[in-house]
Amino acid sequence: MTTLTAKTIQASETETPGTRIWRRFWAQPIALISVIVILFFAITAGGTAILSATGHHWPCDPNTTNLEQKLLPPSPQHWLGTDNLGRDVLSRMLHGAGISLTVGFIAVAVSLGIGLVVGAIAGYFGGLTDQILMRSVDALLCFPTFFLILTAVAILGPSMINIVVVIGLVSWTGTARLVRGEFLTLRETEYVKGARVLGQGHWSIITRHILPNAAAPILVTAVLGIPDAILTEAGLSFLGFGVQPPQATWGNIIAEGKSYLLDAWWLNLFPGLAILLAALSFYLAINALQEAAENRS
Amino acid sequence: MRTIRLFLYGIPILLIVLLVAAFLNATFLSVAKKNEMSIGTIGEPSTLNPIQQADSASSEVGGMIFNGLLKYNQNLEVVGDLATNWELSQETTFQFATEEEAKKAKSFLDIFARTNHPDWPITSTELAPRTKLIIRLSEPGYKASEAIAQALRDKEIYYIPFHNKSVVTSFLAEPIIHFTLRRDVRWHDGIPFTSADILFTYKAIINPRVASPRSSDFELVSSVTAPTPYEVIVRYKKPFSPALLSWMGAILPAHLLENIEPSKWADFYNRHPIGTGPFKFDSWKTNEYIRLVKNTDYYLGSPWLDSVVFRVLPDPLTLRLAFETHQIDFWNVDPWAVKSFEKDKRFDLFSSSGNMYNYIGWNLRRPLFQDLRVRKALAQAVNIPQMIKYIIYGRGVQSTGIFTPKMWFFDPRVKALPYNPTTARTLLDQAGWKPGSDGIRVKDGKRLSFTLLANNGNEIRRDIATLVQDDLKQVGVEVKVEIYEWAVLLKRFVNKGEFDAIVLGWGLGNDFDQYAIWHSSQTHPEELNFVDYQNPEVDHLLSDLRQEYSRPEILKLAEELQQTIYNDQPYLFLFVPESTSVLWKNSYRLRQPGSKAGEWIDSPITMTKAGWSYNMEWFYRPEYPPKDSVLGNNLKR
Amino acid sequence: MTSFIIRRLALSVVLLFIISIISFFIVTLTPGSPYPWGELNPKISPEVKATFRKKFHLDQPLPTQYAFIMRDLFTGNLRSIKDDRPVMSRILERLPATLSLNFTAILISLSFGTLLGVYAARYAGHWQDMASSFFAFLFIALPGFWISYIVAIVLVKNFGVPILGTQSYGIAFPNELAVILDRIWHLLLPASILALGGFAAQSRYLRATMIETTREGYIRTAHAKGLSEEVVLYKHALRNSIRPLIAGIGMLLPAMISGSVVIETIFAYPGMGRLGYEAVLERDYPTLVALNFVLAALILLGNLISDLLYAAVDPRVRLE
Repeated sequence: MTTLTAKTIQASETETPGTRIWRRFWAQPIALISVIVILFFAITAGGTAILSATGHHWPCDPNTTNLEQKLLPPSPQHWLGTDNLGRDVLSRMLHGAGISLTVGFIAVAVSLGIGLVVGAIAGYFGGLTDQILMRSVDALLCFPTFFLILTAVAILGPSMINIVVVIGLVSWTGTARLVRGEFLTLRETEYVKGARVLGQGHWSIITRHILPNAAAPILVTAVLGIPDAILTEAGLSFLGFGVQPPQATWGNIIAEGKSYLLDAWWLNLFPGLAILLAALSFYLAINALQEAAENRS
Repeated sequence: MRTIRLFLYGIPILLIVLLVAAFLNATFLSVAKKNEMSIGTIGEPSTLNPIQQADSASSEVGGMIFNGLLKYNQNLEVVGDLATNWELSQETTFQFATEEEAKKAKSFLDIFARTNHPDWPITSTELAPRTKLIIRLSEPGYKASEAIAQALRDKEIYYIPFHNKSVVTSFLAEPIIHFTLRRDVRWHDGIPFTSADILFTYKAIINPRVASPRSSDFELVSSVTAPTPYEVIVRYKKPFSPALLSWMGAILPAHLLENIEPSKWADFYNRHPIGTGPFKFDSWKTNEYIRLVKNTDYYLGSPWLDSVVFRVLPDPLTLRLAFETHQIDFWNVDPWAVKSFEKDKRFDLFSSSGNMYNYIGWNLRRPLFQDLRVRKALAQAVNIPQMIKYIIYGRGVQSTGIFTPKMWFFDPRVKALPYNPTTARTLLDQAGWKPGSDGIRVKDGKRLSFTLLANNGNEIRRDIATLVQDDLKQVGVEVKVEIYEWAVLLKRFVNKGEFDAIVLGWGLGNDFDQYAIWHSSQTHPEELNFVDYQNPEVDHLLSDLRQEYSRPEILKLAEELQQTIYNDQPYLFLFVPESTSVLWKNSYRLRQPGSKAGEWIDSPITMTKAGWSYNMEWFYRPEYPPKDSVLGNNLKR
Repeated sequence: MTSFIIRRLALSVVLLFIISIISFFIVTLTPGSPYPWGELNPKISPEVKATFRKKFHLDQPLPTQYAFIMRDLFTGNLRSIKDDRPVMSRILERLPATLSLNFTAILISLSFGTLLGVYAARYAGHWQDMASSFFAFLFIALPGFWISYIVAIVLVKNFGVPILGTQSYGIAFPNELAVILDRIWHLLLPASILALGGFAAQSRYLRATMIETTREGYIRTAHAKGLSEEVVLYKHALRNSIRPLIAGIGMLLPAMISGSVVIETIFAYPGMGRLGYEAVLERDYPTLVALNFVLAALILLGNLISDLLYAAVDPRVRLE
């Protein structure tokens, strides 16, 4: 009995935070399911991209129009039906997956990058720098973001790069605030103060002491931006400001299918389900991660 | 604690109960219809002042509130509206060196006046101080006057030409329209309608402060006079046959507006207009609806409907949803939905050939498009019949030029260029464009590639662009499609003439005058000949058409114009879509005035030359049958 | 307190001007220019267009245009390019519809969100909690335009019930109650869809806050005192968790206004979101500048109210 208890105590004492989070994450059934779904989307998107780079398409070329086959309901030849130009919906959705995921990740990368830099500077240096930066953040928050995105995309033109950059530019404020908060707190810790006394430079302090400890909460919150970006991109596509046809995105399949809504329900149902599933899996996975990372007694 | 639980559970439950009750009410309880017609419109009128509006949404509403002097009847013939009678005549003036010459001419021509010669419809002649002779003709136009001029020369009676800046003419030809007005018309505020209103309307239209889009129609008017309260005389500077049609436009009330600054009209009148028409303005909730109520004093009699509502809805899908839930009474059916509505016994459909055609405009400033062989090749490489079959589901015909089959001056003999990729390839070869290594044709080191523009928001044009891209690829032409917002398209590309090709459409009235689109003088920025089409023969035809009053002559000129332009292929003329409207079966019937006073003709809604909605003001709902006793304040018409 | 408010107001005014300048330049630098006549129209002569441009100062350099717009905005003379009506009328006449839509959506969000959040917190860690979390995320991930159309198709195809606008047209209502119920229907339907994401987010937030609160000292004391689970939950945890929610309301309004563009378009609801979207498409500069101004003012006001409420409700917070 004593040996067993001793072993258990030993185990929990030697477990690193990372391992513990990992274990607790996978203990949740929902985590497994959502990760599988995310991987499914990622693999299909990646696979489709690789295939089309080599000139092959499965099940068929998403851009080949075939007027004799337009607006067909789902069938064995076209699992998800065809659109108003006879293009296969499933193929277009596979390509759309790539766009949605790419936009999601890159937009978050952009917003994380900017937010990290701004928040770090504000939190680390504090004082006047902090005030100026935070007031600017407040000012930015005052722009009705949706109109801002609309007009920005209208100016720059609706290409994927522009949309990604615009979404990233508009959503970095949350990350910045969080980073600033973390930096402010961590700045006051013993080892940072000690490092300053020892004369370590700002850069090495930031990279060696503050960042590793702040990384987890920052990353977890920032990653929440991925499903947000996916939903925003879908909304922009729907309004006509997203990536333009004939390039397929989930949002613009719905947008193009809008006029045929009452006759061709499949142009609305499937892309919408895809958007829902993708965003949902991200939210569930991130939530599971947050639960796992929580310090519960 | 209890209160917390009460609120916590109570509010959501209350909301759900409200939702269910409201749903049941809307679906089952509140379904009886009022005696009101509901019309759906996508664009919201910007103003209800008929001389300041140019969009179709505004004129739809205006058609119920206002009358013009003339209108079309159901066979598209010109009949009187506020005018009971109109006479066209002309005053041709010659000037001479001496009074004697003038008198000689007069006595020569008086013979014709007395004998009523058919070729020279001279009604009278008059000497004007001192060396001028005014000849009154009963028909406007140049032909008779030119024949007279020739005869004078033959008789060696020499007239002196008129010099107007750099233009020299043998005579002045001034057409005159003499309108006789109805005497039984009142404005919606009770004031009688008189010729003063016509005078005022004309002055307002040409007033630059009013910025009326109709002002160009009246450029050639030299004067408008009102000798009596029920007569109007309009003089023109020279023969201009579209003039008559310009008097179909709405007339404004002088008594309300003549003392108000045009800049104040927006607040004072434009949002709550007064007219003479079958319906009066009642209310306007911006971006929601415009409501009109019946004018019981309408000169033809009170309409049967109590009110008409124009609902402003943002897009075609919403219109359809509104129609299917009885929120609007008819819907312009999208081509792909026509079949399913045809099969459904609950609906009535009305189809007619449309008034617009779709085309691809080639920028003739670009060297690529300057070769007629290339334009012909491109036209034959695009499979238009297939486009009609698949983009508009067969509801339309191939376009053979600038006019549509519905117009009386349309030439059905013009043959459409057939779809023939082989001929297309041959033509391109002949023009020096040989297939390159990647399949795209090359000439002098340049690839046969251009950018095709279309506007965002119009699926038909987008689909056209995609199909054209595919079709042209088959013959070795590379097309890059770019879609822009309408505002950008105009400003950046069209108005500057900086584009390769563009997919567009023209919506036309029943007007043969297309000077603004095809004349070589109309190529400046913001003018409508934005492809820079230059053909002197066409220029002549366009000017001649404007001066021709006789129908057979107009027909000849129009047919020649259509064939000439079609041969030149400045556009790739695509197709004329059919327009189909759907109504719930038996939701309306028509009871309109007959030809005799007091006579009413009751019939179901039918298709006429002027459309199924002609005489919409006389529609009635079978649940609210008309009582003949609600005739207006007068029975004579 | 007063000095805080004054300082904040002064700062807000400065911010408002900076925002208006930036948004003006963004809007006018967008390619394309106002064209209120629909499609290419043979009837509009270049003279008419020139008069129109002069009237709205469109041929002046940008800073001059900005000055004109600002002057007109504050003298109440600012007119829309689209229909030459005073811009403030256009914005204000949409305000009732927007406010009713958004307040109803907030009400729905709060009431259902609180219910779900309390439920989840009550059964924290058990299957009920996981199920509620799943549903909450489901609604957050739901694309608004997608679900709106699905609801629209189902309602129209199966019931033929009117769903557009603020009222049903052409109906002879049997009595006043029917009229009221009709308005309620047209309000609740889009508001419910608008509230879907909001209520889910609220429930997550409340759950998290409540769970955190239950670990606080005074809760343990309450338990120790022998109070039942329910009393602990409702009387103490809930009360203390509601405060941040209430303070957060101030921020909700501007988010909902711009977020409701899609719902307003689909249900043809005459709100400010649609006004802004259409103004962007039409390049109606005066309306856009005024709208941005109004929205920014609302946001700043919302921030201020939010901070004040938070300070009032939580004695630990100090206003700086």
